[in-house]
Amino acid sequence: MKEEGAFAALFSFYEKGVIKLSKTLSIPSVIALCLAAILLITSIFFPWWGMRFYAPQYPEGLDIIVYPYKMAGDIDIVNGLNHYIGMKGFGEENFPELQFLPYIIGILALLTLITAFLRRKSLLYGLIGLFVVGGAFGIYDIHRWLRNYGTDLDPTAPIKVDPFVPPVFGENTLANFVTESYFTYGSFLLGAAFFCTLFPLWRDRKR
Amino acid sequence: MKKMIAAISGLVLGALASTVIFADFNGNNNNNKNQSSTASNAQKVYVPFGQKDEYYLFASGGHSGQMFIYGVPSMRHIRTIPVFSPDSATGHGWDKHSRELMGEYNWGDLHHPAFSEKGGEYDGKYMFATDVANNRAAVMDLKTFTVKDILEVPNTGGPHCAAFVTENTEYMFLPTRFAVPFGHDYATLDEYKTKYKGVMSAVTFNEAKQKLNVAYQVALPPWSFDLSDAGKKTSKDWAVMTTYNTELATTEQEINASQKDRDYIVLFNWKELEKMVAAGKYDTVNGQKMIDPAKHRGGIYLVPTAKSPHGVDVTPDGKRFIAAGKLAPAMTVFSFEKAFKAIKDKKFAGEQEGIPILDYESIMEREVNPENALGPLHTQFDDKGFAYTTMFISSEIVKWNVDSGETVDRVPVQYSPGHAVAAEGDTVSPDGKYIIALNKIAKDSYLSVGPSHPESMQLIDLTGKKMEIIQSVPVNPEPHYAQIIKANKVKPIVVYDKDTKRPNSIWNQKDAHISRSGNTVEVNGIAMRSKFIFDAKAERKDVISVKEGDKVVIHLTNIDLDQDITHGFGINSYNLNMEVQPGQTQTIEFTAKKAGTYPLYCTNFCSALHQEMSGYLLVEPKG
Repeated sequence: MKEEGAFAALFSFYEKGVIKLSKTLSIPSVIALCLAAILLITSIFFPWWGMRFYAPQYPEGLDIIVYPYKMAGDIDIVNGLNHYIGMKGFGEENFPELQFLPYIIGILALLTLITAFLRRKSLLYGLIGLFVVGGAFGIYDIHRWLRNYGTDLDPTAPIKVDPFVPPVFGENTLANFVTESYFTYGSFLLGAAFFCTLFPLWRDRKR
Repeated sequence: MKKMIAAISGLVLGALASTVIFADFNGNNNNNKNQSSTASNAQKVYVPFGQKDEYYLFASGGHSGQMFIYGVPSMRHIRTIPVFSPDSATGHGWDKHSRELMGEYNWGDLHHPAFSEKGGEYDGKYMFATDVANNRAAVMDLKTFTVKDILEVPNTGGPHCAAFVTENTEYMFLPTRFAVPFGHDYATLDEYKTKYKGVMSAVTFNEAKQKLNVAYQVALPPWSFDLSDAGKKTSKDWAVMTTYNTELATTEQEINASQKDRDYIVLFNWKELEKMVAAGKYDTVNGQKMIDPAKHRGGIYLVPTAKSPHGVDVTPDGKRFIAAGKLAPAMTVFSFEKAFKAIKDKKFAGEQEGIPILDYESIMEREVNPENALGPLHTQFDDKGFAYTTMFISSEIVKWNVDSGETVDRVPVQYSPGHAVAAEGDTVSPDGKYIIALNKIAKDSYLSVGPSHPESMQLIDLTGKKMEIIQSVPVNPEPHYAQIIKANKVKPIVVYDKDTKRPNSIWNQKDAHISRSGNTVEVNGIAMRSKFIFDAKAERKDVISVKEGDKVVIHLTNIDLDQDITHGFGINSYNLNMEVQPGQTQTIEFTAKKAGTYPLYCTNFCSALHQEMSGYLLVEPKG
């Protein structure tokens, strides 16, 4: 109770412009951080990344769609075709990330909320750091898997192809297939969440 | 003088006018006109790649026992669906299910296809067909375009007069063409009048179980029943069918069945017959509930109709039925309303074999007799109150007004149309856009393939002022009848569901296995691009090893859940082949009678390594 009273007092001082605390986050910044947490949690339920395979026989395209917790699309068909070049099968069981990724996002959302609650700018810097490191690692992880799948090809495969690494983002051509890798809704929400965490840097800049 | 000038100037003017009108200033004029009309007709039927036809046409395959599916207006043949005959291309008649449906028969005579209906409209769910050759009825599921059930109907001798489906698919009726004694028992033809019967069967379809069943039969006199139609709207509880050979001829029917000036249309109320059966008014004959109309009266009436009528067709509004005379060159329009009144007032003109005969004059509305139109067989309808009747002998389709009987238009067809089929033509709301003449004779219309000629179908545009043939296509025998359904009503699946609970299905390569119990070897295998796996744990996963005399049961699941990746399964020298569609599990059973080494392979080109998709059946000789 005592603490709460102190908080209220501090708040009223701030409101009156009696004191300026550049180390404390403003109310709009707090709201932005709460929004970031909501966006993070929401992103779990949307696909983050995908790859679309086009071929003369597949003008409509075949899809691999990656959610933080599952894979969707035409996995069986893509696997059926990939076995000709000796590629391992895609499957949820091959990607341990899908087991714990939602929890990581959950924890990140929680940390964001804690930062919002404590309103400490120093914590925010730490949070932004986590976002950057996490994002970079995520992209690296996708790249790592693409390299793994594209280069670890079964030498007894009926069709021999040179090892290849499809890009994390953009087009690649292999035999009759053109693949198109892309980020999608979940990633957009992540990006939006990241911008929300950057917002306080501008809002509460020193004047 | 004035008169002379007037006369001369009149002559000059006349000559001038005739020159303008009749002279051929430009020899190519006519030709150009023909070419431009050919070009515009070509546009009407051209459906470019990537676009689809507006309608499906389901055409009977006659004595091929098959059904042919076409697109309209392109008239492209899309698929042949085997129904009553085996088809090695699809394995119909080889895989366990279809082989059991086929029984001992290996041909059929598929005459009149009929869509399932709801509220008098085709609902696009099922297609029914009957087999004149072996007294069978079949149902095809339009989700897969495969036959789900075939029912052999006893006590009957060729259900030509079928199938016609009631307004909500309550029944399909199968009246017989040939009279036979019950159970096809032996009886000399001298006993024709007493021992022979013209049985009509009422067949129901259980959608949940996908099974056909005979609900009851009616022992009609030994007449031949030709064609039929179910009532619509106000006449929905009723149905009509034509008869010939009311003469009871037992030989040389061509002459002897064509003696009387009048045969009958049988008019019956299936709701009444249903009540009779519920009330136990039937005899049990070879396991069937058989109504004897002489013993249990009501519900069935006879309408005298001009000489050996062929088709009888109910108008879309359900108010009239129209008989096509065949041997009398006229169509007769009857009123359901007047018939109902005559029945209510018991205004009969005698009876035959215990069945009341209605008075012709009191229910007949009009006899329609277009000049020199000969051999009317079958009538279809459009959305504007016009009827279109095929003329077999004068080889044309005549368009006429149902209300006035007036002939509106005629178009010659090549040659001798049996039926014609209009877009959604048997529904309560035909579309009117097209009618197709199903011609019996093609002669030299197409490139010659020797003395056995194709039949011919001609697409006729009904949207213009005059009917116009816009496409002609050769077709396989024999388009007895067809139905045209709006394409968007039919919703086929693309691949079978991955139903992991399906008995004998295997979905993971690692689960494929072979087991033996006694002399039976059971294989639960998979097919995928481009291999068979019968036994995942074996050194050679694509080999089936059995002993001479073993019963072999092979369940094969196609785990390529990819559109159009069909696998075949043929065993060399063992006369066995079937197809397995994506996501489907098919079973084939046989006895390994021949010892030896028999390659097995995928018979449906599936992939770049299709040639490699093979294995062996090894039959070890008895020791």
